[in-house]
Amino acid sequence: MSAVLLIAVPLLAAFLSILSKKIAPYLLLAAALFNIVILFFLPEGFVIIGGFVQPLGINLLFDPFAKIALFLVNGLVLVIAFLNLKAFAGFASILLVALAGLNGLVLTNDLFNLFVFLEIAGIAGYLISVSNKKPVHTFHYVVLGAIGSSLYLFGLIILYAMFGTLNMVGMIEMIETGGNYADLILPFVLMFIGLGVEAKLLPFNSWVKGVLGKSNTMSGPMIASVYAAAIAFVLGRLINNLFQFEGPLLTVVLVILATGIVLGETMAFASTKAREILLYSAVAQASLIALLFVNGVVIWAVFLIVANALSKTVMFLVINKAAGDTGSDDVNDLQGLFAKNVLVGIAFTLAALSVMGMPLLVGFVIKLNFLTALAAANQIAFVAIILIASLVEGIYFIRLLVKLWYRGDKDLDVKYGLSFKIVFVVIATALLVFGTYSAPLNQLDNGVDTIAEVINNG
Amino acid sequence: MIQYAAIVIFVLGLYGILVNRNVIKMIVSLNVMEIGLNLFIISIGFIYDGIAPIITSTEAAGALIYVDPLPQALVLTAIVIGVGTTALALAVAKSIHRVHGTFDLNEVGDLQ
Repeated sequence: MSAVLLIAVPLLAAFLSILSKKIAPYLLLAAALFNIVILFFLPEGFVIIGGFVQPLGINLLFDPFAKIALFLVNGLVLVIAFLNLKAFAGFASILLVALAGLNGLVLTNDLFNLFVFLEIAGIAGYLISVSNKKPVHTFHYVVLGAIGSSLYLFGLIILYAMFGTLNMVGMIEMIETGGNYADLILPFVLMFIGLGVEAKLLPFNSWVKGVLGKSNTMSGPMIASVYAAAIAFVLGRLINNLFQFEGPLLTVVLVILATGIVLGETMAFASTKAREILLYSAVAQASLIALLFVNGVVIWAVFLIVANALSKTVMFLVINKAAGDTGSDDVNDLQGLFAKNVLVGIAFTLAALSVMGMPLLVGFVIKLNFLTALAAANQIAFVAIILIASLVEGIYFIRLLVKLWYRGDKDLDVKYGLSFKIVFVVIATALLVFGTYSAPLNQLDNGVDTIAEVINNG
Repeated sequence: MIQYAAIVIFVLGLYGILVNRNVIKMIVSLNVMEIGLNLFIISIGFIYDGIAPIITSTEAAGALIYVDPLPQALVLTAIVIGVGTTALALAVAKSIHRVHGTFDLNEVGDLQ
């Protein structure tokens, strides 16, 4: 059994699903479930394809970092597909292509292959955003996504011209032995901007408001949680292993990311629409994750991606279902949403408190650890920025929660199905359990190595 | 030298996307940008006096200078992906026209 199946099975299922639209949603569930099951049995290490020994050919890297990402991506796609089995049955083939693309993105060890998977996942993402029925916003997403991936390709071709290989491991070794840093700045910046578009990093993320601000129970969690998580993992992999940000470039990147955190939280604070609050919060979190990777706080950045993806899935599902049923996502129009949906309200509150980093929830453990790591690395300025951003985050989330809990003038008629409630309860329980019992997180602490460490340790 | 020409075409395409508000013109600009990029990729593998990278029985493989075949393979993939993106963008453009009755994003304005 090989990790190639994680990409090949959803892709094959996508082709088969076109033949029969009726079985397409079940094929999607089966493919996601199959991937989750085989993830338990796959051996870790490099997966050589076609017998070409590195640095020739295309190969995949299946390490703990990729494993966490794959569990998250496939698990969330399974959940989202299950919840939208009837409502968005026509999008099953697209979700299968998205699954193949995202799995490939996380697994691949070849930079051009990464571009191909970026485009496959990107095109599936554009099609997912079509479900919002806002073609102008989808068009913006297509254009910005295409520019982003073109810039990534530009950067990687310059690297190919310099080093003569596209293999990530080969390139890292060559850069370490004979790379002239001044020559590397341009390709790194181009690739960083290219990935930044999909990763929702400011200032390359103008598509986010249109796409997520009008999202539904399928497109919202898919793009805000699954895509964001997968791209964050890829960005983390590249920042950790390939990109070398030093000197003035490091300062510029850090300032851009810190500005992204502050602006994201400020825009969320200023917004009166529930979906916009969530999407700007997601923008700030994306910058925070990238900032942690740049500062070398890898494992807690990984946990932050996972916790964020889970929390944002719950929050987008709750708000998008309510917005779909009531026809408005204005916070005032959703007042008293949880008065009749107490269980959903508790799950949403736990997810929001976890994102804020309140004690007893997993967000607190993660925030405490990465702030400690940043302080240990003498990055006090970033600790201060993150704490101030957390304060702003706390204010707007509490304000949102108060509105949603307290009954308004009119009664809202939003009903969440049993399947929705089960998912909310399971995720909220997980956030609570790992918040109070954090030993498994600390055990995994040393499990994620850089590619160089993987090579050195065999 | 050809690389400068490719970069100029790439930048022209990017400029076209930024200044145009007509959806179709933006898609054309996107394609111009991709052509510039593809030319740039091909130029990376170019070797003066190099021949097509095909080994034949009449020529000894080591005796000839070949152009680098890998960028050509990459461009082939990039072209296919570009066509896919263009087709999707055109489909979305058609959808914009159906909903708003125009291709001009300025005219769509607050209607969205």
